[in-house]
Amino acid sequence: MTPYSGLPFFCTLFIVLLPAAILGHCGKKLRPYGLLATVLVLLAVFEGWKAKLLLLLFWAVQTALCFGYLAVRKRCEKRWVLWLFLLGALAPLLLVKLAVFVPKLQLLAILGVSYMTFRAVQVLIETYDGYIKTLNLLDFSYFLLFFPSVSSGPLDRYRRFCSDLAKEPDPEAYDKLAVEGFWKLMTGAFYSFVVGNLILQYWLEALPQSGFGATVGYMYGYTFFMFFNFAGYSRMAIGSAYILGVKMPENFNLPFLSKDMKDFWSRWHISLSTWLRDYVYTRFCTQALRKKWFGGGRASSYLGYFLTMLLMGAWHGLTPAYLIYGAYHGILMSANELLDTKWKRFRKLKKNTAFSILLILITFHLFSFGLLIFSGRLI
Amino acid sequence: MLDNIIDIITDISGADEGEIEAGTELFDEGILDSFGVVQLFVQLESYGVKLDVAEFDREQISTPAKIAALCE
Repeated sequence: MTPYSGLPFFCTLFIVLLPAAILGHCGKKLRPYGLLATVLVLLAVFEGWKAKLLLLLFWAVQTALCFGYLAVRKRCEKRWVLWLFLLGALAPLLLVKLAVFVPKLQLLAILGVSYMTFRAVQVLIETYDGYIKTLNLLDFSYFLLFFPSVSSGPLDRYRRFCSDLAKEPDPEAYDKLAVEGFWKLMTGAFYSFVVGNLILQYWLEALPQSGFGATVGYMYGYTFFMFFNFAGYSRMAIGSAYILGVKMPENFNLPFLSKDMKDFWSRWHISLSTWLRDYVYTRFCTQALRKKWFGGGRASSYLGYFLTMLLMGAWHGLTPAYLIYGAYHGILMSANELLDTKWKRFRKLKKNTAFSILLILITFHLFSFGLLIFSGRLI
Repeated sequence: MLDNIIDIITDISGADEGEIEAGTELFDEGILDSFGVVQLFVQLESYGVKLDVAEFDREQISTPAKIAALCE
């Protein structure tokens, strides 16, 4: 059973969300039921004992690392200790990604490993920062495994997630949230299954396999397919989370109206790009400025963007297409920053209507070409 | 602290003297970006102020006055 795909999953989803809606409407706390629902759905999604065992092992490793580091952090603030724990938390994801080179590692692949690993990494980093001072086993497990967003995001944050769990039940507010969630679930399904499938069937699959015109047609079709498919999944995940009383963050905000690439990444897969901004780019730049690695100048920002976007590509997979996709966006972000800082008129031109339309078109094409790289059709 | 913040932002953004005021919208006007915020927060460390970029959304630090209030 695959999340948000096929009748068995949607029947399971309906069966699981209905009691949540009733409990929420009656003003009951949804946390215990939500955790139970997550475990039940994951048991159904992870078919076979081997997949279930791997998930159990993953949960045990990440739980041990996060709770272990919390205990260690109280006595030791050393950064290298954090790095040791981060390496441990990232190990399952690294092993799965290395299956490109060592096919046997594919045996370790579990659904949602990318998102669940980043959830654990975030807990470790915020523990180091001193923001997370206590961990509750049930809340941590619920956050780590939270099923609505386990396969395709959005990527939530631990403290934000727990603040939703801690809220006192408010039936009126819940009803509003659940109705909104139901609407998102329905519109998400429409995006993904109707619009996405129409594009796939009548646009992408109807194109010849090669040729310049076909590749250009594929680039546009693939861009729209990815948007409707991915934004659709995100909407369904957010909708399901709402019905479980969790106000999961948004993942898309009219990305094709972006005026430059920086603007674009604040509107596309927002939860991942802000995660990378906060835990990779900002930290790298802060360290670079404190230690004056590049004379305290913008060079750290350019390199920070390049490394962050390369990591984003690697997170998708260690194949050449994904790595080039990441590097391509790293270069675009750095070029964007260069334009912003060196060409002062650029800021003013972004407010000009005609120029804005031109910028929107350029940004759309730059991203579409990136997705063409991502699709693997060019390599 | 407000004057110090305006001085730092003027310095890192290359803005003209007097261009930035307490209520200037730093992001809307293109004066600060993600890196500019990091530069500002790192420089504020020398005043004994420790702010974490990830803890604030842009609305909370959109003007020098708002940043100064966070430093108090």
